[in-house]
Parts: sequence; structure tokens; C-alpha cells
Amino acid sequence: MTVLQLKDVTGGYTRKPVIKDLSFAIEKGELVGLIGLNGAGKSTTIKHIIGTLLPQNGEIRLNGVTLKENMDQYRSSFSYIPETPVLYEELTLKEHLELTAMAYGIDEKTLKERSEILLKEFRMEKRLNWFPSHFSKGMRQKVMIMCAFLVNPSLYIIDEPFVGLDPLGIQSLLDQMDEKKHQGASVLMSTHILSTAEKHCDRIILLHEGRVRAQGTMADLRKAFNMPNATLDDLYIAMTKEQDNE
Amino acid sequence: MNNLQSVWSKRFIHYMNEVQKYMKYVFTGHLAIVMVFVIGSVGYQYSEWLKVVDHDFPAVWLIAIIIGLVLGFSRPVTLLKEPDQVYLLPVESKMFVYFKKALNWTFWSQIGLVAVVYLVSIPLLNAVTDLSTSEIWIGLLLIILLKYCNVQIEFNYRYSNRGNHVLIDRIARILLSILAVQTVLTTGFLVGLIYVILLVAYNFSLKKKVREQPIPYEHFVKLEQNRMMGFYRFANYFTDVPHLRGSIRRRSWLNSVYNFVPFNKRNTQSYLVFRTFVRTDDHFYLWVRLTAITAIIAFFVNIPIVTWIVAAALSFATTIQLKYALLSSSEFRMDMLFPVEENQRNKGVHKLIRLFMIVQAIIVMLCSIGQPLFFVSALVILIISEITFKVSKNPTPVY
Repeated sequence: MTVLQLKDVTGGYTRKPVIKDLSFAIEKGELVGLIGLNGAGKSTTIKHIIGTLLPQNGEIRLNGVTLKENMDQYRSSFSYIPETPVLYEELTLKEHLELTAMAYGIDEKTLKERSEILLKEFRMEKRLNWFPSHFSKGMRQKVMIMCAFLVNPSLYIIDEPFVGLDPLGIQSLLDQMDEKKHQGASVLMSTHILSTAEKHCDRIILLHEGRVRAQGTMADLRKAFNMPNATLDDLYIAMTKEQDNE
Repeated sequence: MNNLQSVWSKRFIHYMNEVQKYMKYVFTGHLAIVMVFVIGSVGYQYSEWLKVVDHDFPAVWLIAIIIGLVLGFSRPVTLLKEPDQVYLLPVESKMFVYFKKALNWTFWSQIGLVAVVYLVSIPLLNAVTDLSTSEIWIGLLLIILLKYCNVQIEFNYRYSNRGNHVLIDRIARILLSILAVQTVLTTGFLVGLIYVILLVAYNFSLKKKVREQPIPYEHFVKLEQNRMMGFYRFANYFTDVPHLRGSIRRRSWLNSVYNFVPFNKRNTQSYLVFRTFVRTDDHFYLWVRLTAITAIIAFFVNIPIVTWIVAAALSFATTIQLKYALLSSSEFRMDMLFPVEENQRNKGVHKLIRLFMIVQAIIVMLCSIGQPLFFVSALVILIISEITFKVSKNPTPVY
């Protein structure tokens, strides 16, 4: 079953498009890595999927609906972890969780159950009544992650998740992603950390200058580039070089 | 050498533009109107008081203390920025050119305040003492000299002590300045000059220490950042300063307000808006300030029609400013992705404003309780607020 479907999506901040004719799909229970250089269009792609940018051309379907067709259903279907944590300076950690629960229609009992597990996993139980100004970058990131996992949606959209997290935090995040995957959720993750992507992603989408350069499993990619035994790093460098020669 | 002069000039022009940009809002804002009234009435009462002031009134001591205190605060305006710690390092030995310009500006920009204080006190001196006109003007001359010394010393002290123990130096200068002013207004200029010489000697000893030390960039940059922050906070009372994040306070004594918002998907935005308003200083103090102004006028001005007009004007100001502050958004917030009704935030803001305008109305009504038709001001506040919220345009979201 297809969870997310992008069809010929063209778009950007101004009339000049950053992403061009982008098409890809994410199936149920898949962890897909979105890989590309700085400026390749990863964040722009994500902004189109979450709906803060609207495509100039093409359409994006999430669980079968576009944002225009059913805004409520579309927005309930995903949760998003941005690259830089976006927190409310005036809300405590506990209130961030409460606010998220309210917005996604989670009742108080479920909120309590889910947040207890998350707080323990990310070792934040003792900071429930703190304001974000007392948090380090990694802790802020953890607040975002906990809010996202609290929702239990069918798609997680995670932008550069490992920056700023300590090794334990990274492991907790990977564990959570794995668990959700097994429960049938899908994950779209953009990252620069290729070794982690190679190890954990079911499929990779290589983005270059706003277009999908290649996509598939590691085996597919090795075949496409005719480089058996290559790591994702090797493939990635080969792709950029190939582009330079054209 | 020329380079550093042009660095200063460029910074100075940029700084003046920044100040002017915000000052024009300050002088057109509602508080400016209140200030005109306050200055007018205080001036009037001062002149009335001068007619009856006692000849034993310790005017000279009072003036000396006030001026001494004002002189004590002579913070250097260096316009240094954080990157200077790296980029200006190679020209460290030539930085005296830059600081000379900076201290000149510090002197000229701050001399006005102390001069105005002295000029305002001249009628009092005339009323209480037997000083001749020339003696009074010699007093002004001494104050200018004192200001110059204070500026130089505060800079050199901060420099040589790297910003530590500033209070000790300030107290010493305040005391010397008070004695100098007091002496010049009682004993004469030449005796007063002794204190100036003491200050010059003090400055001289500090300067020797300055020469042995590298520039304490960290301290001066911090000082500069605090000063600009202070200015932006002040300007933020009158207009929206974009790069100013309002400071946050828990204000837990207002926690019961949150009971108006039960846990429910329909209340998501209210949940957020109520906390944003109560805990953000900018929003909360805006309401406190405007409520206080109306209440004070209702209490002291016993002309009902004046109270009603003020109540109406400030009810409009409170509603429109809070509406814009809470509904406009220049940054991405997570609630923009929430699967909730599009106009839920608007409803939440309306609910919050209605609640706090009821509180404003009650406070104002209690303050005007001695007047005939005292309840009218409360009605005026509520009606004007509702109309303002309904009729005014919604700010268009940038994001």
C-alpha cells in the first residue's frame, strides 16, 4: 500500500523552481532515505510534503488525499521533525507534549501512557517542567522527536535527525524508528550521514540539483552505477563526479 | 589610522539609522501623548511649588545628589561588535583612535541629560539661594567638566579591571561629583575644582594601568549588546522590533487562567495562545500598562466624559495591539502543521482578549466608582474592544 506519492512535483520559493518533476513513492512500513548535497532540494522537497510550500506543478498524495482535498486527514497522517528544533519558548516540556496531544486528538490517558515511555527512552523525565531556554541543542531535538512519536502517524518526516544528538540519543531514535516501522509506519529521512542511511534505510533516493538522480535499494543503486560492493559514500561521490563531467 | 576612523564613522551612521528608525515610533506612540501630559502637569506643579518653597529647603544638597547620581552613570558607547575580537586584533595598538571617537560621542550624547537636570533646577536655585546668575552658570561649566572626567574614568576603569567591580568605581565617582557640585554652589568654583583635580589624578592612575593591558573586548561587546538590547526593549513598547525575542516568565500566580481552556482538540490554539500571552513579557506588560493608564486616569480625573474617551481609546489600543501581536507570524511554528480548523487561532485570540478586557473593564470600573455613571467606562471598554476585534483586518501570515 502506498503511503506517500509524489507525481511530477515542481516547486520552490520563487517562480524559479528548486525541485523539478520529482516523482517517488513510499510504501507502508518502509524507511526511505533522502540523500543529496547541500542545496540539492532535500529541505524544499520536505517543505512541499508537509505543505508549507505548495507545488507549482504536480501533486502530492498522502494516504490517498492531497492537502487541498482533505486538509485534516492529510495533516493527521504525518508528523515532522525539522532540522533545527522549533520549540515554544513559553511552553514547558510537559506542555509541548500536551499541546501536541490536543492537536492530534489524543486523549489524556493515551498521552500519559505514550509520554511515559518516550520520556524514559530519551531520559527527559526529570525535565518535564523546564522551559526550552534551559535545554541544550540535543535536548531541544529530543523534545521534537518525542512530540513526533507521541502522535503515532502513518508517516514520519525527519530532516537531518542525527545532528546535535548524543550517541545514546541517536540509538534511541533509531530504535523508535525501527519499532514504528514494524508496527507499519513509514519514515522519510533526509540525512548527510551516509553510513547510517546505508545501514538502516530500506530504500535510498539520491537527489541532485532538484531531480531524482537514482532510487532503489542498495543493490539497485550498485547495479545502476555498475559498482558492485560500493558503499553509499562511493556511489554518492561517483554520482557527483558523473554530473560534473556532463 | 584612517581605516579605524572610517570603521567608527560607518558604525556610527548605521547606529544612528537604527536609533532613528525606532525613535520615530516612540514619538508617535500613545505613551508619548501620556508623557506630554505628565511633563506638563509636573512642570505646572513644580512652578506652583516654587512660589511657596521654604528658604531652608536643602536645594543645593538635593541638586548635587541628583546630578552626582546622573554623572555616575557614564557607560562608554563603543559600538564594538562580536567579530571585532578577531578582526580588530591586528590593529590593537592603534585602537586608541577608535576609542577617542567613541568617548567623544559618549560625552556629547550623554551631556544633554545632566545639563537638562541642572537647567530645570535653576529656578529652584534662584528661589532658595542667593547665587548670582554668573555663579549659577559657572556651576554648569563645572558639571560639564565633571561629565568629561566621569566618561573618561568609567571607560578606563572598565578597561583596566576588565569590567569587574564597576560598582566601587561608580560609588567613588558619585561621591566626588556630589561633593564637587555641592562645593561649587556654596563655597565657589575654585574650591570645587579641587574635586575635579582629584578625579583627573584618579583617571591618570587608571590610564597607566590601561597601557599595560590588551583590550577587554568581551566586556565591551557584552556592554554594547546589553545597551542595544535595552534600547530595543524600550522601542518594543511602541512598535514591533523584529529581532527581539520577548523574555519569558512563568508567572505561576496566573496558572488558574489556564482553567478556562480544558483539554480538548477544539482548544488546541487557545491552550497555546493563553500561555503565550501570560508568559511573554511583551504581550502581558502591554496589557498591564494600558490597563494601568486607564485606571489611573479614571481614578484621578473626575470628569466622566474624559474617562470614557480615554477608556475607549486605550481599549482600542489594547485590543488591536494584542490581536496583531498574537496573530501575526514571521516564523515557522509547529502549530501551522496541526490538523485543526484554520480559524482556530483567531477564535483562541478572541477568547483571550475578551477575557482580559473584562478584567480591564472591572479594574477601571472600580477605579471610577466615585463618579456618576461609573459603570459606563466598563461598558465602553467592552463594546469598543469587541468592535475593534471584529472590524479590524486580520494580519496576513507571512509564512
